[in-house]
Amino acid sequence: MKQKVGEGLLFIGFTGIASTLLLALLWAPSVSIDAFESPAAQRIFYWHVPAAWAAFIAFGALFIGSAGWLFKRSEVMWRLHTAGAEAGLATGLMTVWSGCVWGAAEWGTPWDWTDVRLNTFGLLTLLAIYLVLGRASQPDGVETRDTFAAFGLYGFVLVPITYVATRIWSIRHPGPVVGTGDDGSINGDMGLVLLVGAISFTVFIIGHIMNSMRVTLLEQRLEQLQANMDKVI
Amino acid sequence: MTYLAVAYFGMLVAIALWTYTVVQRSRRLNQRLEALEVAMSGRFENE
Repeated sequence: MKQKVGEGLLFIGFTGIASTLLLALLWAPSVSIDAFESPAAQRIFYWHVPAAWAAFIAFGALFIGSAGWLFKRSEVMWRLHTAGAEAGLATGLMTVWSGCVWGAAEWGTPWDWTDVRLNTFGLLTLLAIYLVLGRASQPDGVETRDTFAAFGLYGFVLVPITYVATRIWSIRHPGPVVGTGDDGSINGDMGLVLLVGAISFTVFIIGHIMNSMRVTLLEQRLEQLQANMDKVI
Repeated sequence: MTYLAVAYFGMLVAIALWTYTVVQRSRRLNQRLEALEVAMSGRFENE
């Protein structure tokens, strides 16, 4: 049952993301030509911002899972840790890639090493890569889990830093357009496409986390069964 | 606009592939588990 729910959410989320892209390309109003070097590339914002939002949800799951494993030794929390790392990697790469495409068009360079938000988010994505690849290459055990969980726990400090980075250090990355306290700088139709994107990515990331948790559970069961079989033989 | 459409399409294909991989991993593991359980129950029945 859970498998069907997880796969259903993944499918609904993916369909919503594809719809967001279509709406962004064909329906969302264009921005002022004076405001941007590349107004067409601005449309990537409808993918980039929801992907970053979903990445924060995934890194939140990673934090809770890491803390749950370290303090409670809970198997469910360990599965949440692994799912958060995988989902964080997927959405982190989507955010970084879309940001690079926009940066190349708008700034003339895909990356700015002096911008705080770019670099803290890049570090978060690198953390997710380390956790996913590290878990795949290391034998499962308490020490290995403790190490990865500690990285997941302390790495989360980058999330609030990334969130407030453009409010504190206005370097190159544009400032916030929603949740600013005033009316914001996007009109109704733009806000609607952004909302569709945010909901779609949220559904997608929840489905992804549920699926990844199930994969880890199945891997653990398989290992257990194989160990039992080895004992019998 | 063309490069943007290509970038968008590339991202969509990438996310579709990733989603497919996650679902397939789960299904493959399920099949392996079921096969192993059947093999083990058959072995115990024979003994």
